[in-house]
Amino acid sequence: MPNLTLKQRLYQRYWQLISRYLDKRQPAADKVTLVQKLIFILPTRYGWWFVLLIALLYLLGTNYQNNLILLLCYLLLSVFLVNIGLAYQNISGLTLQCQHAAAGFAGTDTTVTVNLSSDKKHFMLNMNFVQHNETVLLSQPAATASLNLTGTKRGKYPLPRIKITSQYPFGLWRAWSYVALAQPYWVYPAPDADKSAVNVAATDTSQQAKTDAGETLAPYRAGDSVRHIVWKRLARDPANPVVRQQHFSAQAEPSWVVVPALSGDALERALRYACQQLLQLEQSGSSYGLKTPALTLPQAKGPQHLQRCLQELALC
Amino acid sequence: MLTQQMQKQKQLLLSWAAIQFSLLLLLQQAFAGWVIAIFALLLLYRLLSVFKAKAGISLKLVNLLAGIIAITFFLQLRQAGVLHFMLQILLLAATARLLALQHLYEARQLVWVHYFLIACCFILHQDMLIALFILLVFAVNLYSHYRLFSPSVSRLNWLQTGRGILIILPLWLAIFLLFPRLPPFWQIPNVNIASTGLNDTLDPGSIEQLVQDDSLAFRVEFDGALPPRQQLYWRARLYEDFDGRRWQVNALRQNASRQRAADTAADSSLSYRIIAEASQQTGLFALATPVTSSSNVFISPSGLLSSNKPVSQRLSYQVSSSLTPVVLVSEQEQQLNLRVPPGNPQTQQFAYQLKQQYPQSHELVQALAEHFSRQPFYYSLTPPRLGSNSIDAFLFDSHTGFCSHYASASAVILRHAGIAARVVGGYQGGNWHPQQGYLAVRQREAHAWVEYLHNGVWQPFDPTAAVAPERILDSLDSALPEDQRALLDPGWRQLVLLQNLRQQLMHLDYYWSVWVLGFNDNRQRELWRTLYRYLPAMAYSAAVLFSIIIVVLLYLRLTQSGTDNTPQATKQLHRYLGKALAAKPLSLSVSAFLLQCAKRYPAHNAYLKQLTALYEQALYKEDTEALNQLKQLLKCHKAELGRLRRAIKNT
Repeated sequence: MPNLTLKQRLYQRYWQLISRYLDKRQPAADKVTLVQKLIFILPTRYGWWFVLLIALLYLLGTNYQNNLILLLCYLLLSVFLVNIGLAYQNISGLTLQCQHAAAGFAGTDTTVTVNLSSDKKHFMLNMNFVQHNETVLLSQPAATASLNLTGTKRGKYPLPRIKITSQYPFGLWRAWSYVALAQPYWVYPAPDADKSAVNVAATDTSQQAKTDAGETLAPYRAGDSVRHIVWKRLARDPANPVVRQQHFSAQAEPSWVVVPALSGDALERALRYACQQLLQLEQSGSSYGLKTPALTLPQAKGPQHLQRCLQELALC
Repeated sequence: MLTQQMQKQKQLLLSWAAIQFSLLLLLQQAFAGWVIAIFALLLLYRLLSVFKAKAGISLKLVNLLAGIIAITFFLQLRQAGVLHFMLQILLLAATARLLALQHLYEARQLVWVHYFLIACCFILHQDMLIALFILLVFAVNLYSHYRLFSPSVSRLNWLQTGRGILIILPLWLAIFLLFPRLPPFWQIPNVNIASTGLNDTLDPGSIEQLVQDDSLAFRVEFDGALPPRQQLYWRARLYEDFDGRRWQVNALRQNASRQRAADTAADSSLSYRIIAEASQQTGLFALATPVTSSSNVFISPSGLLSSNKPVSQRLSYQVSSSLTPVVLVSEQEQQLNLRVPPGNPQTQQFAYQLKQQYPQSHELVQALAEHFSRQPFYYSLTPPRLGSNSIDAFLFDSHTGFCSHYASASAVILRHAGIAARVVGGYQGGNWHPQQGYLAVRQREAHAWVEYLHNGVWQPFDPTAAVAPERILDSLDSALPEDQRALLDPGWRQLVLLQNLRQQLMHLDYYWSVWVLGFNDNRQRELWRTLYRYLPAMAYSAAVLFSIIIVVLLYLRLTQSGTDNTPQATKQLHRYLGKALAAKPLSLSVSAFLLQCAKRYPAHNAYLKQLTALYEQALYKEDTEALNQLKQLLKCHKAELGRLRRAIKNT
């Protein structure tokens, strides 16, 4: 974590502590109902101003020995106190559930739909994922809330905690809760038509000496698997490492999307290309399969198959 | 959505403008005319822009404007006083904020300042009706506060609001009654408003003006019975300097008012509590010679009461008086009250004559009273204007005057005759409300009389009593002729209904001032003591109530669990066999127990076997037919069941 200001670093440290505490208090669950032990309530900044107002009025009333000012002061005080209950009322009893795992491509917004249910009416709820700035305001009771997540790296992640906040009715107290829902979200590789990663093998075949049937040699690029390095040649020429590559013939199997066994940048590029291919194939309506170094998905079609394939790409 | 937002914004802007107008109205005493004009202009501009749906003025311009106005306020600081300056600046801040308001979230500070200003209104107003109005303004502000943080379309949920109020009210009252009350922390700037009531100078016309004012001066509760009317002379001012035309309070008195008189051994025969209205003066009221008083007021040696700062809010104090005349304090006081201004030769002549005729001072006073009652002297609210020798003109020419004329003339005559005398300003009588048990003394009861020195004490002498005894024994109205009475009562006041309403309001206001305004640390301590005394009783009753509730809840729980878990058939058996089944060992099932009984009591063998069969059918096959039969069987053989129960019990 370079280039972080002290404040940010402190905040991260603080958040680590808090999340450790929260994980103990509320482990991720399918369905979370906001009950007393999950709700935190503290005065807002305006609430503190209100306290100052009450203190000033008490001073004024006492100095003038004026019962009416004192009465007003106490009225404000009781409004302030009762607001703790009202703020709690407005947020408690709400049930959050996320039925479907959200999915999206890296670099774009992933929309997570959270189902809300309650037998009460809740107003002015603010929802956001912790450590995400985007906030959704539900001013009226709603059945669902759509929250956006931006994933930068492909993969399968647990949903971050949802912070749900309410200052209703007087903005004096903030009642909030951090809700962890047991649901993953997927970030697929961003589709990219750049074939370079996969083509390395294809274009270089003519120039490279064939070692074995179906295998070619190619210069090492960052991210290539260390296992494929030709160690004998490396000993001879340490400056130019060479890797053994499987000879894939993507053209030969048009309905097979193949992810070569690479790592690092090269793998990412290959995955992005594979993603692009999958989307195109799905769009064209033909059936297709996916071959990755780890597993092979048989040929099929339809959105579910596409989803399955994309998930495999995300996990690669 | 956007239009709703706009609608909400418009409503809120209007309500804030209304709040600020009412604040301006309520605080107008504290503001000079031009200040009010500036605020009214600014608010009108804002209203206009709301109706024309224009945006607020730019913040820069408003800041500039507010800065200029604030500087002018500051330049007027000395005239206005610190408190008024603070109020002006606060209202200016609120108005400027309202003018420049672009977004609703900026209105939070506005609402905050409104709360403060609304509370400040109570410094100036404590009347019940105005207090209710201020509370209304507060409610509007609270509602706008709520609207700031609520969705733009939502309506007030009355059920929830009602519930909230139900919780807030007892909490509020409990805090008010029980929260510790402290003495003032520091000296505070006071309101400078024109004072009401008697002044430090007594002009020939000043009391006539005062009696046309129907407002309340103070109220009195007597610990014992109400003293007779002739004794109700409420002393407030001593006028000792006479310049030939007006009487003035001597500078000596103003300085001496802070001294607390040493408590004399005089018996205090009359104890009473006075709730004085705000008069912006330090002078207060007492009967005859006050002996002891509550700590918030001082008794000066000359028997006058005063508070340590001008009475700007209703003030309640306890006094006990001895109904004897005030004692002479010093030689100096006597000398002070023998000085006579030049002029009025006829009066001087008259005084010498009297003196020669009656060498004893009380005889002379008696003669003077007789002179007033025998000669054609008239009591009038509208006496003719008098010339430079005002006493001469009154005594020997116009013969018409009000109480101040008579008092003034009597004092001058006595001084010429070598008897120390002074004019006392105060109130006489009052309106007794037997049901509420208080005496209301209004400004119209303002009165002036004379005190003369006799045997080292200041004997009171009221010349008005000689001229118009009805004034003293009944009221001012009865002492005045018909046409002048109309001066006191404007037309609307004569309507019976309105008068009744006014009366009721005044009584309400009385309770208001006793219970709300007059609630102080003494009363709080009393309340605490009462609470403490009844604490065990309250604790016991609370405990009893609590245990009853617990028992009821438990009972409900038990019966409910019975209905929930026990099958219908078992319940039926329990109902009819009752205690017999209680003898069943836990290890046995009900049917096994019944069969056992059948073996043990051959007389009931057939019946019990039938019962068991039906019971098992009903319970395990869930056969409703069998259940009904079981019910029938149980119902029809009550006698046999009774015998069975007894048999089981006896073994």
